[in-house]
Amino acid sequence: MKKSMMVFMALIVSGAMFLQNVAAQTATGPVELRFTVWTGNAAHLSMLSDIAAKYKAVHPNVSVKFDTIPYGDYPQKLAVQLAGSNAPDAGWITEADAPTFIQADALLDITKAVAAYNYADFAKSATGLWEKGGKVYGVPFSNSPLIIFYNKTLFEKAGIATPTELAAKGQWTWEAFASAAKQIKAKTGTYGYQTLDGSGYTDNLWATIVPMIRAYGGDVWDAQGNCTIASPESVKAVTLLHSMIYTDKSVVPPGEQADFFAGAAGMTMSQISRVSKLQDAAFKWGLVALPKGPAGEAQVIGQAAVVAFKAGKHTAEAADFVAFMTNKENVATMTKFFPPARVSVLDSEAFTKGNPSIPPEVMSSVVGYALKNGKILPSNPNFPKIDLIARSSFDQLWRPDADVKSVLSKVASSIAPLLK
Amino acid sequence: MTKTPSANRKKNHEINRRKRGEYLFGYSCIAPQILGFLVFVLGPLVMVIVYGFENRNLLTGKTTFAGLSNFTTLFTKDPLFYKTLGNTLVFTLGLVPLSVLSSLLLALAVRKDSMRNTVFRTIYFAPVVTAAVAWAIVWKFLLQGDQGIVNKVLAVVGIHGPNWLQEPGWAMGAVIVTRVIKNLGMNIIIYLAAVTNLPDELYEAARIDGASKLQAFRKLTVPLLMPTTLMITMITVIGSLKIFDHIMLMTEGGPSNATMVLVYYIYYQGFRFFETGYASALSLVLFVIVLGLTLAQWGIGKRFSYQEG
Repeated sequence: MKKSMMVFMALIVSGAMFLQNVAAQTATGPVELRFTVWTGNAAHLSMLSDIAAKYKAVHPNVSVKFDTIPYGDYPQKLAVQLAGSNAPDAGWITEADAPTFIQADALLDITKAVAAYNYADFAKSATGLWEKGGKVYGVPFSNSPLIIFYNKTLFEKAGIATPTELAAKGQWTWEAFASAAKQIKAKTGTYGYQTLDGSGYTDNLWATIVPMIRAYGGDVWDAQGNCTIASPESVKAVTLLHSMIYTDKSVVPPGEQADFFAGAAGMTMSQISRVSKLQDAAFKWGLVALPKGPAGEAQVIGQAAVVAFKAGKHTAEAADFVAFMTNKENVATMTKFFPPARVSVLDSEAFTKGNPSIPPEVMSSVVGYALKNGKILPSNPNFPKIDLIARSSFDQLWRPDADVKSVLSKVASSIAPLLK
Repeated sequence: MTKTPSANRKKNHEINRRKRGEYLFGYSCIAPQILGFLVFVLGPLVMVIVYGFENRNLLTGKTTFAGLSNFTTLFTKDPLFYKTLGNTLVFTLGLVPLSVLSSLLLALAVRKDSMRNTVFRTIYFAPVVTAAVAWAIVWKFLLQGDQGIVNKVLAVVGIHGPNWLQEPGWAMGAVIVTRVIKNLGMNIIIYLAAVTNLPDELYEAARIDGASKLQAFRKLTVPLLMPTTLMITMITVIGSLKIFDHIMLMTEGGPSNATMVLVYYIYYQGFRFFETGYASALSLVLFVIVLGLTLAQWGIGKRFSYQEG
């Protein structure tokens, strides 16, 4: 009996030791972090892989695999992966989805990980959306203002002043923008304006209308959750866009495909990250900040942050990698595509000279200027619902005979209950 | 000479053993199929029934028992549910007659074996083997507003076409027609199989009796093809209730929910709003509708097979 008891004990002890050994091996064993992004751009992915390679040099057991999910499907595919057994360890999140994911408790608290560096270097205005209850849930890697890209060749062909020339004279207004688009269409036959990524009526609806609405003194909703999308200022701004589409016919209309980057439109609203698409452009191009409106300047910033997911398999490594990716050196590296939220980088040459395709003076006078004067795009914990419900009401606007005021009132009444 | 009881037992035992072996072999043959059915069909179906009675959120992972509240919301507080149900009905009523009638007429047109008909059969069948995604994307491109090829062709004959997929009044029609063309070939093949089996002597007798071609079609072809027509109708009806890819790729349920059909609404609630409990309740409604139609098909199918017999 005693003998069998001893054998039993020995088995338990050796089993425990074996398990401990396995656990220890797992802790230092190879770890592959899966990192979700929405970019499929080769230049972006190669830059990210370089950062991962630098991390591997310091942590040889950790490698990072970047997984592209198309932008339009990003939040829902991410949610499915998080709910299933296929949760990514870390990834990108836009400002629009930040409150939803934080409220759902899907993001990892990375306060300790970012304490490794001077977190205070990030502009307070940029980190607000990613903090809750004194905890940090994400670090903005891209604080990218919406700017206007224009096809200089088309402007020359139409024989009109370029947006940069107008801006220098202080005449770069949304009215001047509409007039330039109209003249390009009339004189060259090419569309004057393509909305952001050509999806301004669907996935990028808010980025398309918010800059105009804010420049006219309105907004879509305020911090208290009051819907202001049907205010007289908003109606004026949206009326201008509507008349550009249906009266001037100078904007690529809903359902049509004409790409600015292929030379099929005179202007587009975009962000610095898309400059890489102009590398082989067959036309001369320029960048300019958003036009002014009757209410003055209204620069608008689209934000994206690096986060670690609570449901990921390697949370400790993921949090550490997020901190590594957003340290000063890597933020400086990413600056060529993603304007930084780190004040020290923003003020450095790494930012102004980061992208060889963009002259330093343009980088500081256009991107830097818009960043310093900009306000982030709207967000709300109910954003997925607000977005889709608003879009179905907005569909009524994309018709030649639409009554802008009544459509915006309908949008307001459909989303107002979700804002509170 | 009669066999002893023990010999009989032995023989019975041998038969039973062989039968058991046969059963075992049979079951092992269908095991992969049964396993797949249990894991991928029955399992999820049971889970959907359970989820339908819960408040579930895909993103938060929080779940509470909801009782019948998803269903009361659905039937009493969700106007979009009735709109999607109406859209699904419009889609089905538009698609089914168009699909059945056109495939029947085209099958009759290409029934005789000839070089020309072989070419046409190939043309009609080509969309069936085209990837659904490619099909929808190409049509989305063709159906653009002023720049679309369809409208450019219409402009040649003086017609100013609408922005097909962006106008609520036209979007559903455009989706229906492109879907009909996509699956036409399959229905033509089924009809062709039935048409080639039509007895020539009946048509000959009809001709001798002085029946016109139209009379022969109405009094002979249509009734003789009725079982095939019923089968095609039911397949098309059930397929139309399950339409998703086309809507997702061409209109995303828009404009203004004009093409929001039931299955797309299920996706919308479950994966865009993350309300998986509510989406499951919607799925159960769809399940009941499809079950009802399948039972109706059985009933009607049986009646027709009796008449044939």
